[in-house]
Amino acid sequence: MNDLGEFALMVALATALYGCIGYVLAARGNRLDLYLSADKTPVIVWGCVVVASIALWKAFMVDDFSLEYVWAYSNRDLDVFYKVSSFWGGQKGSLLFWTLLLTSYMVVVYFQNRKRNAKLVPYALVVMLTITLFFLVLLNFSTNPFERIPLPPEDGRGLNPLLQNYWMVIHPPTLYLGYVGFTVPFAFALAALITKNLDDSWIRLTRKWTLISWFFLCMGNLFGAHWAYLELGWGGYWAWDPVENAAFMPLIIATAYLHSVMIQEKKDMMKVWNMSLILLTFVMTIFGTFITRSGLIQSVHTFDEATLGYYFLAFLGVIIVICVSLIASRLPLLRSKNELDSFLSRESSFLFNNLVLLGIAFATFWGTIFPIVSEAVRGIKITVGPPFYNQVNVPIGLVLLALIGIGPVIAWRRATWAHLRKNFFKPVLIALVFGVGLWIWALPSNRAEVYSFIAFVLCVFVMSTIIIEFLKGTLARSHLHEETPLQALGSLVWRSKSRYGGYIVHVGVVFIFAGIAGSQAYGTHIEQHVKVGESLQIRDYTLKYERLGFIQENPTKTRAVAQLGVYQNGRRVWTGQPEKEFYKGQNQPVSEVDVRSTWKEDLYIILADFKEDDSATLKIYLNPMVSWIWMGAWIIAFGTTVSVWPDRLEARRRLERMKVQDAVFSPAQE
Amino acid sequence: MRRLFSTWIVLAVLFLGVAAPAGAASMLADLENALMCKCKDKCGKVLINCTCDTSNKTRADFQKLLDSGLTVQQIVQQQVALHGETILSAPTKIGFNLTAWVTPFAAILVGGYGVRRILNAWIRGKKAGTPASGEKSPDPQEPISSNYSRRLQEELDKLEI
Repeated sequence: MNDLGEFALMVALATALYGCIGYVLAARGNRLDLYLSADKTPVIVWGCVVVASIALWKAFMVDDFSLEYVWAYSNRDLDVFYKVSSFWGGQKGSLLFWTLLLTSYMVVVYFQNRKRNAKLVPYALVVMLTITLFFLVLLNFSTNPFERIPLPPEDGRGLNPLLQNYWMVIHPPTLYLGYVGFTVPFAFALAALITKNLDDSWIRLTRKWTLISWFFLCMGNLFGAHWAYLELGWGGYWAWDPVENAAFMPLIIATAYLHSVMIQEKKDMMKVWNMSLILLTFVMTIFGTFITRSGLIQSVHTFDEATLGYYFLAFLGVIIVICVSLIASRLPLLRSKNELDSFLSRESSFLFNNLVLLGIAFATFWGTIFPIVSEAVRGIKITVGPPFYNQVNVPIGLVLLALIGIGPVIAWRRATWAHLRKNFFKPVLIALVFGVGLWIWALPSNRAEVYSFIAFVLCVFVMSTIIIEFLKGTLARSHLHEETPLQALGSLVWRSKSRYGGYIVHVGVVFIFAGIAGSQAYGTHIEQHVKVGESLQIRDYTLKYERLGFIQENPTKTRAVAQLGVYQNGRRVWTGQPEKEFYKGQNQPVSEVDVRSTWKEDLYIILADFKEDDSATLKIYLNPMVSWIWMGAWIIAFGTTVSVWPDRLEARRRLERMKVQDAVFSPAQE
Repeated sequence: MRRLFSTWIVLAVLFLGVAAPAGAASMLADLENALMCKCKDKCGKVLINCTCDTSNKTRADFQKLLDSGLTVQQIVQQQVALHGETILSAPTKIGFNLTAWVTPFAAILVGGYGVRRILNAWIRGKKAGTPASGEKSPDPQEPISSNYSRRLQEELDKLEI
């Protein structure tokens, strides 16, 4: 099976190369035979990559330690669950997984557009095949997951204990689905540039792809935060680590794109800007991969064998050169009739939203590369950690939060002062009343609390604007169509999925902001060494250390479990069981925290250390409102689902627009 | 409007300025936030985020130093003297390091200026183009036909944003 996997990768490489050349030659020479031949390559490449992936998965399942990769990331005692996820636990497998997702997306694009969009699709497929080719070159010549060990050992080295968590099965695939997903809009954008079909057909074709990729990237980031919170045992969820930043930047740029593209869809403006944003989003996904795999920047996330920096740097360079040259050469065609009625309009608020989002992305990028810049200039690799990002990004983030409230309520084209007063009076009043109340109830005493105070007030402002929008729409429908309020709300959302789905996503974002504000400013923690029977106090919780037990789970893993009775106002409310896990062959034990999560706060317990007399060092965190962040994630998921849900009305509108613009239907169909 | 905006900015700055130095949080937490973990594995984590044995030992040492009467600033200086500038979790705000702090805000200000100019140009473009349209505007006194009213209702139903 290993030989088959290795062979499949070679065939995939050759086929991808043939496909790229075939498509290009067919287009240049107008050769139908070549086109028909090349047209089968996306499916063949995908098939080969699937075969290679199955081969590698099988090697993990049957403990085939003749493969160096399986030996390095698995062992006989590893749960089947983690054997499945070990596939992407290391560099080689993760690249194969990336290729598997990329080719799967490519095949979906292929079948989705077989009989339509013939002007763009072959070129988009060439772009996707070329990117696939790059990964296949790496897999065949630099990081072959089927590399053998001459004398296979009896057992493997095992998966890093930190990766033995169920989030390992969820987080990387979600993040990769987002990363790789942006290849599709990127490929169509390049195809539009190459073919000079620069109307907004490429945007319409990729709208759902972009939304879905954005959704996965967003979820990937949030799942990663949740994993870090539960697994790394430091009481936090985001450390502004370079690799976290690498996943965060494309998300922010894609968010800017999702907003600015609305202006192109509605007003046919900002074509250069939108094109640049989607290209930049993809460039940042490759930059992120470069960071993870170059070893250039120190991070807990980077792969052990981070040796692919030069490959990715070269690839990044080629992509940037191609994108910049294509945009520059098509600039006259991308010029749109940019006209605006008023400075006070939704268009301008979206522009400021883009500015702020890009400001956050740039600040994050600058912080990530500053160690390299500093080393180049001064010879000292300065560390840029959370204090930098918190001081720089938090104020910018607050401006963004305000814009989330302002943007959707301002009218398109022109907003009058009377209109602004009408739309903003109630939300501002509600936010001010809340602000005064909060100020009296909890006077901010340090910078973090001041920022949190502003964040809470803005959250209330944004929520008010959204709720009022829903209310207005519901009441209007209810009045016009004599529907019950619930029916009216349902049909309001159903008939404008894109708009109201977007509002729901904004609600999720508000929840996340509120969660961050609460947990960053009002959290507290204690660390104490206690004997069995002794108690600890943190705010109104009393934790009684009851016992320490040991469990030999399997020959390679032993768990030390502390038990604590948690009392609130004299009543036992929970039993906490934080653990320390010891793995054979690993120097550092792994902490498994235990968390009591409520909407108000998380009681987060870490077993930091223990002694032979069963006394233990415990770290207890009280993190307010962390659950709001995870709730926000689910709300975003719901909002995105509403937004991407097939819309008959929208499809009809689009069809009408397409008929008018005579844009993308294939000549074959015509 | 501009004056109102400026007043708000000044108030916000004053407000932040007054509130900022009031921090009386744990000095150990301040130290943990200011310094990186210096474990052999080069974990690359800020001390407050690190859970390794070295970080536990460092925390205990810092607590002793704080108990002996040293201030956070003195301990940070001591650590920089021992391990170099890389022990700090964020760049200092002097010399070349200042560029780390200033550049993002400078970029946003320049971008904001650019956006302002773009918007002005677009508005000028619109104003310049307005008289040329010369389409016949509907007479506001003209009664709306039932057919037109029905179509308007349909359009409103379909209206997305």
